Amino acid sequence: MKLVLSSLVAAMTAAAASPALAGPVLDEIKEKDQLICLVNPNSPGFSVPDSNGVYQGFNTDFCRMAAAAILGDAGKADIRGIGFSDSMKTLVADGAHMASRSITATGTRDADAGMAFVATTFYDGQGFMIPKSIGVTSATQLEGATVCAEDGSTTLLNIADWFSDRTISYRVENIADKTARLEAFFNGKCDVYASDVTALLSDRLLSDTPEAYTILPEVISAEPLTLVTQPDQALEAAVFWAFQVMLNADVYGITSDNVDQIIADLGSYPKAVNRLFAEDSATAEMAEKLGLPQDWAYQVISQVGAYSEVFEKHLGKETAFGLELNETANALTADGGQMYAYPIR
Amino acid sequence: MTRLVPPPLLSALKSGFGTPLASLLTFLAAGLVLTVSWSAAGWLFVNAVWPWQAAEACQVNTGICWPFLVEKARFILFGTYPAGQHMRPAVVSVLLIALTVITCRQMTGKPPHLSPVQLICAWLVTVPLCFVLMGGGVFGLEPVDPVRWNGMPILLMLSVIAIVLAFPLGLALALARTQTTHKGLSWAAAGYVEATRAVPMLTVIFVGIFVLPLTLPEGMSISPVTATLVALIFFHASYFAEDIRSGLISLPRGQTEAARSLGLSYWQSIFFVGLPQAIRRALPALVNSMIGAYKDTSLVIVVGILDLTATARASFGDPGWRDHALEAYGLVGVWFFLSCAYLSSVGRSLHKQTKG
Repeated sequence: MKLVLSSLVAAMTAAAASPALAGPVLDEIKEKDQLICLVNPNSPGFSVPDSNGVYQGFNTDFCRMAAAAILGDAGKADIRGIGFSDSMKTLVADGAHMASRSITATGTRDADAGMAFVATTFYDGQGFMIPKSIGVTSATQLEGATVCAEDGSTTLLNIADWFSDRTISYRVENIADKTARLEAFFNGKCDVYASDVTALLSDRLLSDTPEAYTILPEVISAEPLTLVTQPDQALEAAVFWAFQVMLNADVYGITSDNVDQIIADLGSYPKAVNRLFAEDSATAEMAEKLGLPQDWAYQVISQVGAYSEVFEKHLGKETAFGLELNETANALTADGGQMYAYPIR
Repeated sequence: MTRLVPPPLLSALKSGFGTPLASLLTFLAAGLVLTVSWSAAGWLFVNAVWPWQAAEACQVNTGICWPFLVEKARFILFGTYPAGQHMRPAVVSVLLIALTVITCRQMTGKPPHLSPVQLICAWLVTVPLCFVLMGGGVFGLEPVDPVRWNGMPILLMLSVIAIVLAFPLGLALALARTQTTHKGLSWAAAGYVEATRAVPMLTVIFVGIFVLPLTLPEGMSISPVTATLVALIFFHASYFAEDIRSGLISLPRGQTEAARSLGLSYWQSIFFVGLPQAIRRALPALVNSMIGAYKDTSLVIVVGILDLTATARASFGDPGWRDHALEAYGLVGVWFFLSCAYLSSVGRSLHKQTKG
C-alpha cells in the first residue's frame, strides 16, 4: 500500500511538475509520442535511405538519440529527408521538431527567429585534394589551377575569398552533379577538387587509385555542423545533454555493448559514471525537471551508443569512408580533438 | 518495258561505297558502332555479375552489377515509403499505368471499348483515389506524410494526372482563343497561353511551391506535391492549348459553317464537327507535348520531391553501393525509354488512323 501511495505521489508530482517546466515543443513531442527530425535526403555516410527506405547514417543517429532521450525509444524518431532551405522553413513553420543535416552554425543563421543551434556533432572545414603527380605541397602554390567545386555552394565563396586574399589566380570548373564532378577530377579535367575535408577523405576512395591523391594541409573554413531544434528551452536542454551523455560515455569507456554490465555493477565504477546512471543520479534529477524518462541517459547509450560508436559505425575504418576518428577534429579533447564532454552533475 | 530493280544488298553497297567520301564515312561509322557495341557488350554480358551471384563479385567485375539492382529495385520504385505499406504505392502505380494504357488503346480503337463517359468517370475516381491511397488517414490506412511519397508513384502522379487534367483546360483555352464572339475572352486566353509559355517550367514549379500557398485563405495548407501538381497542370495546359488551336485553325471554315447551316448550335458544331477533326489533326503535336511533359516531370527534384530519378540517385548514395551510378541511371533510362516508346507508338498508330 505504501508503495502504491508513494508511486502515486511520485506520478502526481511528475504530472504537476512537467507541464509547468517542460517547453511547448517538448510537450508536443511527448503528446504525439513521435519526434519529427529532418535530414538531408542523400548524403552518403550522414543520411541516406537503405534498401528498405529507412534513413541510415551519422546524422540520423542524432535524431534517434533525441527520441531515445525524450520518448525512451529511438524508433520513435520520424526521420524525413528534405532539402536544405525547405527544412529550415518546415522547422520554423512547426512542421518538424529538429533537424540533423550538417548545418553549419553561423551568427546570422542563429540570429533568425524560429530555430536554435544546440550541439555541434561534427567539426569540419573546407580543404583541397590534388593528384600527387602535380607535385604541389601547399594550396598557396595553386597559381593558375583549375578547381572543381559544387556550383552555387558556399564552397565556391570560400575559395573566392581565400584565393583573392592571397592574389592567386585560378579557374573554376562548375559541375553540379557530384558523380560527374569527381569523374572530371579523376580524369584530370581539373587540378584541384575542393570540398569539406571529411568529404574529400571519403571521395578519394571512389578513385580506382586512391593512393595517387593527397589532401593539402590548408583548411580554409570552419564548419561546425550543428543540431538545430525549434526554440524551446527544455527541448534544447534535452538534446544538448543527451549529446553530452554520448561524449561522457566515451570519456569513461561506456558503450552500448557494456552499458548493461556497468549498470549491474555500478558501485565499482567511478562517481561520474554513477552520476549518469544511478537512480538518484544527476540525470534522474534532470529527467524530473525536464519531463524526460527517468533512465534517459541509459536509453541513449543502449539504443544509440557512445559518440565514437556512432562515428565508427557510419564513417569509421570499417566503412566505405574509412575515417580515423582520432585523426579528425571530432576526437575528444583528451585525444587532441575538439569534442569536449561537459560535466553531468 | 521492264526496269531492273537492283537487289537491296547491292543498292546498299552502292550507297555506302559509291564514292571515296562515302566509303570513308561508312568505315568511320562502322568503327564507331563496333567500338560502342563492343564496350556495351562487355559491360552488359562479358563482365556482368548476374543476379544469382554474390554481391561481393561486383567489387572485382567491371560489368553491370545485377545484385545491386535486385537489392535496390524496391527502393528505386518506392523510396522512403514505409516498407510495410508498399502495396499502396504499388497499387497507385499499376492503376495509373493501366488507366493510361486503356485510354491510349481507346484512342487507337482497341479493346476494351469504353464509352467516353465511362473513361472520364474512371479518371475522376482514380485521381482522388491515388491521393487517398498514398496519404492514408482514412479507412484505417496508416497516414503517410507526402515527404515519403517517392519514386515511381510520384513520377506517375505528377505526369499522368497533370497531363490528364491539363488536357481539358488546354481544350477550353484553345476554344476560348479561337472563338470570335467574345473578344475579351479570346485576348485573356491568348494572354494566359503566351505568358505561361514565356516562362521556364522550373519557374512555374517554384511559383507552385512558394507563391501558391500564399494565395490560399488563412489556415488552409497545401502539400508541396499538390502545389507542384497544380503548377504543372497550368503549365502543360498552355502547350496543349496551342496544339489543339493549331488543329482548329487548320480546319477549312466550310466545316463549321456547313454544320451551322444544317441547324447545329455553336456548341454542337464545335463538339461534333470541329473538335473531333481538329484534335485528330493536332494529335502528332499533342503526343509530342505529352512525351515532353512526361519527361520534364523529373525536374520536380529541385523542390525536394523525390521522383524516380531522385530515388535512383539515392540508391547509390548508400555507402555499401557507391560504385553503381551507371546501373541506377540505366534502369531509369530503360523505364523512360520504354514508356516514351509506347507513347510514340500510340502517336504513330493514331497518325495512321487519321490518314486511313
